Amino acid sequence: MRRVSPAFVAVAFLLVICMCTAVVVLFDYEGPAPHAGAPYLRQAARDTGAANLVAGIVFDYRFYDTLFEILVFAVAVLGVRFYLAQVEPSAAAEQIPESRIVRISADLLFGPILLLGIYLVLHGHLSPGGGFAGGTVAGTGLLLCAVALGADIVAIRFHETLLERLEWLILLAILLVALVPALLGLAPLTGLLPRGAVGQPASAGPVLLLNVLVGAKVFIGAWAVTYAFSRHRGEI
Amino acid sequence: MIARTSLLVLLPVVAIFALTRRRRIVAVIGMATFSLLLSSVYLLLYAPDVAITEAAIGAALVTFIYVLAIRRTGRLVVVCDEAPGLLEREGGRIVGLEHAILTRFSRHLGLDLVVRFVPSEEAREMLGRGEADLAAGGIVAAQIEEGLCASTGFLETAFFHIEGPLPLTADRTVVPPAYFADLVEAIRHGRRVCVTLDLARFLAVSRLDLSRYRVSRLPGNDQYVFALQAENTELRRRLEAFLSDLRESGRLERLHERYVR
Repeated sequence: MRRVSPAFVAVAFLLVICMCTAVVVLFDYEGPAPHAGAPYLRQAARDTGAANLVAGIVFDYRFYDTLFEILVFAVAVLGVRFYLAQVEPSAAAEQIPESRIVRISADLLFGPILLLGIYLVLHGHLSPGGGFAGGTVAGTGLLLCAVALGADIVAIRFHETLLERLEWLILLAILLVALVPALLGLAPLTGLLPRGAVGQPASAGPVLLLNVLVGAKVFIGAWAVTYAFSRHRGEI
Repeated sequence: MIARTSLLVLLPVVAIFALTRRRRIVAVIGMATFSLLLSSVYLLLYAPDVAITEAAIGAALVTFIYVLAIRRTGRLVVVCDEAPGLLEREGGRIVGLEHAILTRFSRHLGLDLVVRFVPSEEAREMLGRGEADLAAGGIVAAQIEEGLCASTGFLETAFFHIEGPLPLTADRTVVPPAYFADLVEAIRHGRRVCVTLDLARFLAVSRLDLSRYRVSRLPGNDQYVFALQAENTELRRRLEAFLSDLRESGRLERLHERYVR
């Protein structure tokens, strides 16, 4: 740890204060004007069937972008696996004893966190949330369990090998969802499922389906990366 | 407007708090608070999707990964056998001169002090394998083995040889107990013992009935030191700097008065 010079800290401090003041003073944003976005929102809801415009954009209008984002994520997970596979698995390191507070709160919190993640995924087309955020929330819940119980126990409980296969199946499914409509001559990328009535739980078919697939993919991917690190670079 | 302005004013305050903390875990908690505040700002700016993502990733996932990393690296692991007055368990706490020095040293480094009690042989092995940063618990410079090195001393000591119970037999092969506590038990029950003890341990033993043992003071004096890996030059440099600072500022003297005299 090198000591940072006080002059640097002072300059950085002043800079941050100036920038924050500038933001507060100059940027007087009071939210969107009530009428400005309404036509867009109406039109987007008609187009995509999703009450949440963001989900509609991510999984419908701009699904081509999102598809490659998912592929980038999959390649990143693959890269971690590939390079860590060359590192010898570290010997079972001594488990760091965890305090009762962490263990009990992990037990208590895991269910609600997982539930919140699932809600964010399944409700992503109607309210803020979606596959990426929901998958991360659920993955964090699993990470909490791994910290409290030890990564190996969680790996056994959640069938590591099964998850690994599931991850690639999900990626295949996402690609199929994108490819099949084009092959069948439907609307490209997302024309597979009906869009339904806006605002209903079962609406925006493609958005809902992709939210679920992406949520599962992010959940498993986040866990797979953490577990690979813990197994090859020491205990969590 | 008021809510947003106060949040925006709070953000740099929390950021500076996180930046200036010595203990990493506190800095990480500061970062998590920062993320949570930022996510509230997003919410007030009508971007609930971004707010959820910021809360899930910035406040939860990133914090977790930092905490995991800190658990491995943000600690100063000290292995030792119990040494009365230097490093011993008293009730649920660890007390003693060495503990006082090490607590101040780890605070100086911004690390959390972790003390593990192991037999003194194993302590050296753990140090050699890199599972611990320092070995303590009444180590003197003369005991330091190859591959390890000693810090400068922080307290004078002497050696005492205890052998018994009388009368002595010709058989002198006695395996010394792994833990100091076992040795104390052995003497208390008058079992066969043949050991050389440093001053701190001898003082603890001398409270027991030693009439049946032959006690002799060995010639020469030595200093208590901390042992660390010879390759770990960075830690050694910092420890030396810290110890000499402690000595020059007179704080070591005060610690001696508090714990030893």
